[in-house]
Amino acid sequence: MTLWSRWMKPKSGPRKQPLPPDKVLQEYKSQKFDGHVKKALRLIEEMLGENDDLVIRDFRVCQTHDAAAAYFANIVNRDTSNENIFRPLMDMKPSAARARLRGRALREVIVKEALHHEEVYLRTDMIEVIEDIMHGHTAVFVEGCDKVIVVDARMVPHRTPEQPYTEQVIRGARDGFVEQLSTNITLLRYRLQTPNFRIKMMKIGRLSRTKVAVCYVEGLVRPALVQEVLDRLKMIHVDGVLDAGTLEQFIEDNHWSPFPQVQNSERPDKCVASLLEGRIVILTDGTPFSLIVPAVFVQFYQTMDDYSERWLMASLVRLVRLVALIFSLVFPSIYVSIIAFNPELIPTNFAVAVAGGRAGVPFPAVVEVLVMEISMEVLREATLRLPQQVGGALSIVGVLIVGQSAVAAGFASPITVVIIALTTIGSFATPAYNAAIALRILRFVLTILAGFFGLYGVVVGLILISNHMLSLRSFGVPYLSPVVPMNMQGLKDALMRAPLWWMWRRPQQLDPIDSRRLAPGAARKLLSQNSNTLDPVKPRRLR
Amino acid sequence: MIHKTVYRHITVMEAVAIFIGSSFGIGILALPRMAVEAADTGAPLLTLCGLCLTLFGALLITLLARRFPNDTVVRAGERVIGKWPARLMGVCLAVFFILLTALGAREFTTVVAVAVLPRTPVEATTLVMLLLAASSVRNNFTSFAYIQLFYQPFLFIPSVLIPTLALKNAIFTNLLPLWGNGEGHWWAGMASVAALLQGGFVLGFLVPAMIEPRRMPQVLLWGGIFIGSVYLLFVIASLAVFGSMEIRNLMWPTLEMAKITMLPGEVLERLDAAFLAIWVTAAFAGLYTTYFIASLVIKDVLRFEDHAFLSWALLPFIFMAAMLPPNVVQVYRAMEWLGRIGLVLTIGYPLILLAVAWMRGVREERGLPEQADSTL
Repeated sequence: MTLWSRWMKPKSGPRKQPLPPDKVLQEYKSQKFDGHVKKALRLIEEMLGENDDLVIRDFRVCQTHDAAAAYFANIVNRDTSNENIFRPLMDMKPSAARARLRGRALREVIVKEALHHEEVYLRTDMIEVIEDIMHGHTAVFVEGCDKVIVVDARMVPHRTPEQPYTEQVIRGARDGFVEQLSTNITLLRYRLQTPNFRIKMMKIGRLSRTKVAVCYVEGLVRPALVQEVLDRLKMIHVDGVLDAGTLEQFIEDNHWSPFPQVQNSERPDKCVASLLEGRIVILTDGTPFSLIVPAVFVQFYQTMDDYSERWLMASLVRLVRLVALIFSLVFPSIYVSIIAFNPELIPTNFAVAVAGGRAGVPFPAVVEVLVMEISMEVLREATLRLPQQVGGALSIVGVLIVGQSAVAAGFASPITVVIIALTTIGSFATPAYNAAIALRILRFVLTILAGFFGLYGVVVGLILISNHMLSLRSFGVPYLSPVVPMNMQGLKDALMRAPLWWMWRRPQQLDPIDSRRLAPGAARKLLSQNSNTLDPVKPRRLR
Repeated sequence: MIHKTVYRHITVMEAVAIFIGSSFGIGILALPRMAVEAADTGAPLLTLCGLCLTLFGALLITLLARRFPNDTVVRAGERVIGKWPARLMGVCLAVFFILLTALGAREFTTVVAVAVLPRTPVEATTLVMLLLAASSVRNNFTSFAYIQLFYQPFLFIPSVLIPTLALKNAIFTNLLPLWGNGEGHWWAGMASVAALLQGGFVLGFLVPAMIEPRRMPQVLLWGGIFIGSVYLLFVIASLAVFGSMEIRNLMWPTLEMAKITMLPGEVLERLDAAFLAIWVTAAFAGLYTTYFIASLVIKDVLRFEDHAFLSWALLPFIFMAAMLPPNVVQVYRAMEWLGRIGLVLTIGYPLILLAVAWMRGVREERGLPEQADSTL
């Protein structure tokens, strides 16, 4: 071709972009399988043929009927498909009667007599068949058969349930959720063997088609609440849901609040406990985190340990946790306001010591504290991202050496370092990471207010925070309940952890239908005198 | 006219909390001085009389509420004395509560400026306080009740602790004679004490939201007992500690009492700054109530569906009013003047309404709908 002719060649118009398969699928919406394998395969080829891992395996059933299986190579368990699909179908005894079989009769023979895999679905709509193939199932087309036989031989790599990193317990179950929804449901069903346990499945995400399971106990939780959860989930129209956290942000009540309004957990026992309290658990495929709604603030400093330990110890430990929580929020700001505005509050000896420590520090207290706080946050974030082996070394370098040298360099006073360290440790004592992070952020706000207005600013900030929490709701449940609005039954499990026999009702803020935890009279029976069989005072014949 | 329907949800306990929260406030800081100036050592007795006057006002509101369990005071007024007179009164009430909020904020920030933040401009602290109140006024009545309930411990613990600890230095002969030396001006003093408690007018807006409006007398009783004992405790303790002559020289005797008090354990050397910090909560509870009443009154008069936006709309006016008095003397003069007028409004108006309603025989239809109108 000469240059001339190339110039003269008419420009071709914009190349027509081929439609993506999901758009093509819409065109074939009404397409049904009509017993023609070739035709069906052509459609499959057109839709999915671009994928190099699509396998179409031709074979013959009863030596007479042409058949084909379509599946994706790596997601299907090879052993299962060999043993449970191809072998029985190809091994079917040929006979004259079988050769004449068509339509429904043929399908019944195949499904009821030959195929001995347990999970088999029958489909007519091609659109459904394609969705199944995408899901990892194997679609078997048999010439003359009236339906497509879809066999679930999927195998996805998964890990075994192990102790969750984020919620470790001293005493309690050691298993945690994994990524597979099926495993997680198993873990729940294994712990909650009542017919009242209900699971509603739905798929969320236009492209990811993520399975989401809404679990609740019927007869406990108000049906309206279940409906609301389902409604909120149905409203999510997003391309993909990769984690429960994504769902959480779509269904929470107040999107502007720093406080989490949905609890998440990796522990099946915690989920079951929540279900028994009348809450709803949302499991998402592909993540070990479950969501628990409705959530109130007290939940974020409760742990599973609280219930397995005896009540007095558990109450004390919970109190310690609460104190740590409050410390991590207000400690730096109170320090700043006392040092900068009201040094007369603290005993004179101590005030002198503090002043001596601060003698060489060139900054105002608020700047000093803020700088130290920010470097602590940086350190924390850095150790979080590092591989574990390096992380330990870095945290030692960070905490010990930087802290020590900051003091030696006259950059920060020793008391400031102590305060920041205590604050940071306090924030680690909060079991729920997302609640701890909220308080961490609010701590900065309080510190800045303290820098401006001293104690007055701190209290104004605290009032602002508590007002916000008091007006917050999670699925209509007041966030600070059962403290406000006050509820005696709920209070038994809020600041303290009352003896189990005394908490005979479920938390009333959730308004469960069946509110009794303990059978009537059970507590009285429990507390009445035991017979003390081996009491040495007792005559031997009575033992 | 369509109102958002809300369920009755305020419990008796929350109502008591609202009543108490509305009455604690900045006034307590100066209360002993005001009482002593009026009645010398008769101050406790005078306080008691003032409390009785307040409770009488609250009783009037309760009686009115019994007659109109589904209406706020403003709406009940419209039914009793007609639309426009009642609206006029509503406007007066609104202006009164706006001014009360403004002066309350100013009084508190003056105390703050004198006691802990001498170099911070009063404008800044006042603005912060008003912003805090305004951001909370946006909430609905339920959250209002929750917030008031939540702060009760922060009101009670210091107000029982400080006077009790201060009693260590008390000379009880300072309390005698019980009826005071010489003449005094008892009526004015009573009015001043009662004027500190005008937040109690909020009860008139509470009724339509209460689950059991029948139990209002209980609210009155418990609220009266708690408020009365704390007020009396403060007056008696400061009178016993300082004596009547010294108190006249102290601007805020309660604060001085905190200054001389020491917590056992000696963790804190002085308590005044800490007391004032905790007292921000009480000041907030009082301001929140008056601010809330102001916006509710305006909402009722103008027939708004929601009062939320009023909170920011009123803020500039309240702030300007708060900045008007040039110094603390003027603040107290204005407060005294405003308090007297306020008594006419918060006690006189319900009295007139009741009398007219009784004479005309106006009353609510029997029975309570579960969905109360309104307000909230």
